[in-house]
Amino acid sequence: MASTTPSQPQQINVADLDLQQLSDVRRQLEEELNHLTNSFAQLKQAQAKFKSCIENVGEVKPQNKGTTILVPLTNSLYVPGHLSDAENVIVDVGTGYYVKKSRAQATKYYETKVEYIRTNLDTLQETIQKKQENMSYLVNVMQAKLQQSQAQSSKV
Amino acid sequence: MSSKSVFQEEKNPRGIPKAPFIANVEEYLGGPDGAVETPLKNFQDAIAKSRKYRYMDANLTQRRKGLEDKIPDIRKTLHMVEFLHETREGKNKNDDLEDDLSDEENSDNPKKPLITTFELNDTLFAEAELEDTDTVYLWLGANVMLSYKLTEAASLLRSKLDLAEASLKATIEDLEFLREQLTVMEVNTARVYNWDVKRRRERRLAGEVKKDG
Repeated sequence: MASTTPSQPQQINVADLDLQQLSDVRRQLEEELNHLTNSFAQLKQAQAKFKSCIENVGEVKPQNKGTTILVPLTNSLYVPGHLSDAENVIVDVGTGYYVKKSRAQATKYYETKVEYIRTNLDTLQETIQKKQENMSYLVNVMQAKLQQSQAQSSKV
Repeated sequence: MSSKSVFQEEKNPRGIPKAPFIANVEEYLGGPDGAVETPLKNFQDAIAKSRKYRYMDANLTQRRKGLEDKIPDIRKTLHMVEFLHETREGKNKNDDLEDDLSDEENSDNPKKPLITTFELNDTLFAEAELEDTDTVYLWLGANVMLSYKLTEAASLLRSKLDLAEASLKATIEDLEFLREQLTVMEVNTARVYNWDVKRRRERRLAGEVKKDG
């Protein structure tokens, strides 16, 4: 039975591989799957962070301008104060650049980021699924082979 | 033959037992005819001791890392508090000079309020104006935050910093001492084992000679 593994760089005939090679391939697939799942989790984390940034920007509203807030100066030092600028926030856009944006701009910026991560997550999800299918297919073939070889050795 | 428990002899200032170096294995085991069981038991003691040492080593390394992380934080906070204090001192001096002019509460002239950018989130900062107050709030951890006057805060942070630095120094010393003891223990184990092997071989040879002779 000639069956080829889907979506591999070279078309290998899985049935041709012996058990040892099959288990190698399986281990490789498992590693890739782990790696992908980790990346997925990290992306989800980053997305959650950006979502919370959107909320934070929402807090910097003009009506809060006069209220007393505790301003963090370091990890453990807070000083009472109040918002001086309720229209602009400063956003870290990476590689050491900080941009002063208006609240609306900042919200838009974060929402774009969230959207971008969402599309990445979707693609990643698909890839993970495909890999999982590959893996289960491979396991099936392995089991079939095992049975085959057992049947043969019992005949002998 | 004395299977003395050599492990309670000395301890360093913080209670890490010192590992004695067995200079003369034979003497330690009570002569060439010392029982075979004693060295074996001592190996096991030594191994257990090494395991304890290793565990303490891991502990101390962890503690040291924690301290090394905390100390720069405390330094920064102390620096900030001192800066705030100085700024206030500066303002108060100006106040004294113009005392007769302005009896009203804090109006513009001597007051230059501090504008600062603070962190709302990992990538998000906002601007705020610090109130001119002599009270600061310190986050002490474990969901506890207390308010302190500037001077009290400064002295508290200073003492915390000193404590942390002393603790770090002690931990590093302990680590070094521990490594030494671990090595000594391992060397002991190796020597006792080798000596035992040698002795068995000699006994075997002596036995064969006797048979032949």
